Amino acid sequence: MPPLSSAPPVPAIAPTPTEAGACLAIMPARDEAATVGAVVEGVRRTLGCAVLVVDDASGDATADAARAAGATVLTLPLGLGAWGATQAGIRYARRHGFQHAITLDADGQHLPESLPLLLNAKDATGANVVIGTCTGRLSRAKRIAWQYLRFLTGLKLNDFTSGLRLYDVHAIEVLAGQEASLLDYQDVGVLMLLSRSGLRIAETPVEMVPRRTGHSRVFASWPVVARYMMHTTVLCLAQIDAGRRRAAGAARAC
Amino acid sequence: MLTGQITSAIIGVALAGAILFLVRRDHLHGPYALWWFAVAAATFALGVFPALIAWLARVTGIGYAPVLPIVVGLSLVLIRMLKLDIDRSKQERQIRRLTQKLAILEQELDRLGGRRSPEPADDDGH
Repeated sequence: MPPLSSAPPVPAIAPTPTEAGACLAIMPARDEAATVGAVVEGVRRTLGCAVLVVDDASGDATADAARAAGATVLTLPLGLGAWGATQAGIRYARRHGFQHAITLDADGQHLPESLPLLLNAKDATGANVVIGTCTGRLSRAKRIAWQYLRFLTGLKLNDFTSGLRLYDVHAIEVLAGQEASLLDYQDVGVLMLLSRSGLRIAETPVEMVPRRTGHSRVFASWPVVARYMMHTTVLCLAQIDAGRRRAAGAARAC
Repeated sequence: MLTGQITSAIIGVALAGAILFLVRRDHLHGPYALWWFAVAAATFALGVFPALIAWLARVTGIGYAPVLPIVVGLSLVLIRMLKLDIDRSKQERQIRRLTQKLAILEQELDRLGGRRSPEPADDDGH
């Protein structure tokens, strides 16, 4: 290896040139070596877009499996959790000039075939963010939780925790920022930040597969749900009414 | 047999001395050193001259003088803890962003330099 001083000067930042409208699929993954390869291939087949797997300090061969399937891999040296990993991908998308970012889980829960639905919904509604909402029957716990969150946030959404989302370039700009770095889940906090920044959020129903391995981080058991709801309530209290204020503002503007 | 004044003076001087020692040995970083320096001065003064407490209680209108240092001390501890958590949150944000940036730059390094994937990792084999 040549000494550093003789190395050719590297251009300030050398992002991969991306054509307008280019899309990046972001998959946060922790110990998902068993499923990540198939999901990456599915996404590449369906959308033909670049796939970024953010390896959240996995102990298994997640990064190698993803790379073998044709994905670009970011390896986080410390585990940051699902949102921290997703945000790393969003910052990558911003740095490399991608116009859209689609986030999905690496465990095979979200079907690659449903990704075009998100893009269609974006074209149809003109929203900045599209959430892929599970069409299956909700458990009682979830229905109560969603009702409560709708009341608390004023956001009129059916699914607050779905990790299947499409963000446009404005949403990427907001979510790559400092303010989003202390959030822990890609859910209410993220949605309220987007709503507060004046971005529009739409939903589209998609089919989802029950998790093959692992289980929901949020709806694991009653104590976990209780802690999650408490955490979220405190988060919301700091900016109660973000959604309603936004709606009122929009109404005035019309 | 010690009198109350000697006991309080010993506690005050020992605490102030320990804090001063740590501040002088650079175990505390700038703004913290200033805070603890003020605490050391206060414990020293109140320990050696307990009459100050009675005087302060009279001035502030507190009926039972001994409760004054306890209330003030507890309030200061709470403020200090709050500040500690604020600082920790700030550092957590910085650590997360640094971790993300590190991963992004590492990927770019690999891309620019060509991945040496067939070789075993030689940088950090943890």
